[in-house]
Amino acid sequence: MTAHSTLTPELTTPPSRSTPARLVRKLAESPEAGVIIACVLVFVTIAINAPTYTSAGNLQVMGRDLAQVGILAIGESVVILTGGIDLSVGALAGLAGILAAWFNVYQGMPAPLAILVTLVICAAVGVWHGTMVTRLAVPPFVITLVTFTVAQGLALSITTGTPINGIDPFFSNLSQFYLGEVPVPALFFVGAAIIAWFVLERTYVGRQIYAVGGNKEAARLAGIPVARRVTSAYVASAVLAGVVGILVIGRMNVADPSVGPGWELSAIAAAVVGGVSLFGGEGRIVGIAAGAILLEFIANGLLALHVNTYYQTVVQGAVLGVAILLDRLRAKYFGRARK
Amino acid sequence: MASVNDAPHGRAVTARLRGVHKSYGPVRVLDLPALDLYAGQVVGVVGENGAGKSTLMGTLSGSVHRDGGEIEIRGTRLAPGSTMAAGALGVAMVSQEFPLVGQLSVAENLLLGRRPRQSRRRVLVDRAAQRAEAVAMLVEIGLSPEAVPVTRQVRTLPVPQRQMIEIAKAWGHEPSLLILDEPTSSLGPVEAQMVLGLARTLAERGGTVLFIGHRLDEVRAVSDRILVLRNGHLVADLLPDEADEERLIREMVGGEVAHGEPKARPAASPLLLELRGLTADRLGPVDLRVHAGEIVGVAGLMGAGRSRLIHTVAGAQPATGGTMSLGGRPYSPRGPSDGVAAGIAMIPEDRKEQSLITFASIRANVIVPILRRISTRGLLGPRRERSEAQRIAANVNVRMWSVDQPIGSLSGGNQQRAIFGRAFATRPRLLLLDEPTRGVDVGAKAEIYELIDRAADQGMAVLVASSELEELLWICHRIAVLNHGRLVAVLDRADATKERIMTAAAGTSHTAPDLLSNGATP
Repeated sequence: MTAHSTLTPELTTPPSRSTPARLVRKLAESPEAGVIIACVLVFVTIAINAPTYTSAGNLQVMGRDLAQVGILAIGESVVILTGGIDLSVGALAGLAGILAAWFNVYQGMPAPLAILVTLVICAAVGVWHGTMVTRLAVPPFVITLVTFTVAQGLALSITTGTPINGIDPFFSNLSQFYLGEVPVPALFFVGAAIIAWFVLERTYVGRQIYAVGGNKEAARLAGIPVARRVTSAYVASAVLAGVVGILVIGRMNVADPSVGPGWELSAIAAAVVGGVSLFGGEGRIVGIAAGAILLEFIANGLLALHVNTYYQTVVQGAVLGVAILLDRLRAKYFGRARK
Repeated sequence: MASVNDAPHGRAVTARLRGVHKSYGPVRVLDLPALDLYAGQVVGVVGENGAGKSTLMGTLSGSVHRDGGEIEIRGTRLAPGSTMAAGALGVAMVSQEFPLVGQLSVAENLLLGRRPRQSRRRVLVDRAAQRAEAVAMLVEIGLSPEAVPVTRQVRTLPVPQRQMIEIAKAWGHEPSLLILDEPTSSLGPVEAQMVLGLARTLAERGGTVLFIGHRLDEVRAVSDRILVLRNGHLVADLLPDEADEERLIREMVGGEVAHGEPKARPAASPLLLELRGLTADRLGPVDLRVHAGEIVGVAGLMGAGRSRLIHTVAGAQPATGGTMSLGGRPYSPRGPSDGVAAGIAMIPEDRKEQSLITFASIRANVIVPILRRISTRGLLGPRRERSEAQRIAANVNVRMWSVDQPIGSLSGGNQQRAIFGRAFATRPRLLLLDEPTRGVDVGAKAEIYELIDRAADQGMAVLVASSELEELLWICHRIAVLNHGRLVAVLDRADATKERIMTAAAGTSHTAPDLLSNGATP
């Protein structure tokens, strides 16, 4: 068949030949580059203006904070990649902490067992989400909002509103231990990011999650088990929320039922800043991790710069707004047909 | 009519269907007592929209769960409603909507849901093997890998190439039964020829191709056997030489269709739309004049700029140069609302995406453009809404049981008539149509043509872009031909033939002055 010549003119955009120009274009086209650059700029700017910002102690604080929002953001992003959303992660993290403490203190379970049982419960919640979304077509927003409400209420009911004290030192060892100078929770974050990156980029299951989020029908017709992929995303998100909850009670040495709800918004913000499309199928772990890091740099930086607490959330919201604005401008002028 | 069980001499049966049926709600959309498909044949399937073609395809490919009956593929029972089971038995389908994942690369799409054959990795992605196999798949169907780089994101590619990728994807499964659902509807003639060639190739290799077509000449040219479906039933099973166009249409609509006489061009009427050197993204220069009461067609190959011309005039796409005037006044729209304000109504190509809120009622859909006119001091009453909607629907003869039923529950032709009614309700001077009969069945097409005629009779100027030349030759007074965005010919109906249009549309892109006629008074 000699039809090549007629198809070729349809092709647009011949690749640019010069390497530096191509590199610049490639950077501009990828949403991740902007976030990483922003991370560096923010860090340097604040470091110059606030000497305590780069102290070992403060870096360790940021590392531990990252373990919270960052790990939640990774799980959240996997769900968003499938085209869903998980509003329950904050409340579920809170409930997981309460459950682990309750099993440990009131049911006399050894800490590792309490953790295991808690994570299994979280996984079951993920299966529940996935099943409702894939089998009964419940909108993800709705079903995870249900869990959000119930989890928040359960945490308060179990504790009757008072924190659980006297948890096993195992928890605090987990959260307050250092490997060299690096706090262990930060390593959990790095580990979660690496595993998520590996699964999403390098395994067939991961690529199929992208396919499901990008075009569910195409994925179904290609024989990809869509329901299983979507459910696995919700399970990952719920289990990671459980991990965060357990790290948090260890950090505070007490299980406080008021902790957790609200974090889902930070997780979603980190994902969006990191270039994850809320329509699904788009976004990479590098960007998500960078998004979480950027938000943490800013939140902590505002403290270091002694910004009035009342203004801090305003600044954080403004940063989110600017990030989205810049991303859309970038997409408009450099990206091709990104939606 | 050959009986379905008359096996052609010595041919094996690829697919055996017995008592296959499917209903949606109370409507039985497919009912096939017995049908055998033989190896080494291209089987054409024609029928109006809603005749059951897509459902037949769906039951075979597993995307539709059949309600009952048995299907055997080369002797093995096909489990209902599983694309995976169908795929495993060698059924591959190219659907109309080319389900590709835009965010993924060409290579990942080509190997969606499976691993490269040369790769021994079971869990980890083998990108090198993926790319190599993707290139091989494209070469296999006659595309050059330079024309379609396998690392490109699919959404950055133009529509015809995406369709070709979808075909390569199905071809790559080395199917014994290849189902092509209107594969050429989004392709230009050259690519369409490639696809027809592929269908023949597979048949010669002993496979079976089920070819759903909407262009009857194409179906007749490629098929060894033609099935006609009507209301879910197999009503005719023909050999190509007994299936002339008249016969096929008769079987499809279940009666004779009268061909009306084309209307003569109206006598001297005022100039309404004038384009001078109009340019836009991948369009132009275009010099064109359209008179009130005149129907001017826009022809061209895929990607020639038919839709872009319509959109530019409507104001939906910015012009980059040249001038437009409307009714003698300069017209330079900054957006579609300027076009609407100037008295333009556009009916875009894609009903679902660009025209309708499918789950909303007919009423809500048709009164959208006249909300301001029918409201009193900004307030609207349900009674007024309903009566206006009823008037609009009756004006264009929408068949429905209530204006409150969802517009998506109407047939394609009825939906399109409702859209025409909505456009007429704004009392436009210029009507812009982009593929006005896409996805509309044969009977309903004639009614759409009548509506277009009526618009011209009422003094509207009509500019209609279409990929179907017969349609343009049928309804237009003049036909403008685009080639790579440039206007290369304007043919009067008396001079216009399919051949002349194709020559201008496919020729090397230079203007042929002798083919330019700009509507001098006849």
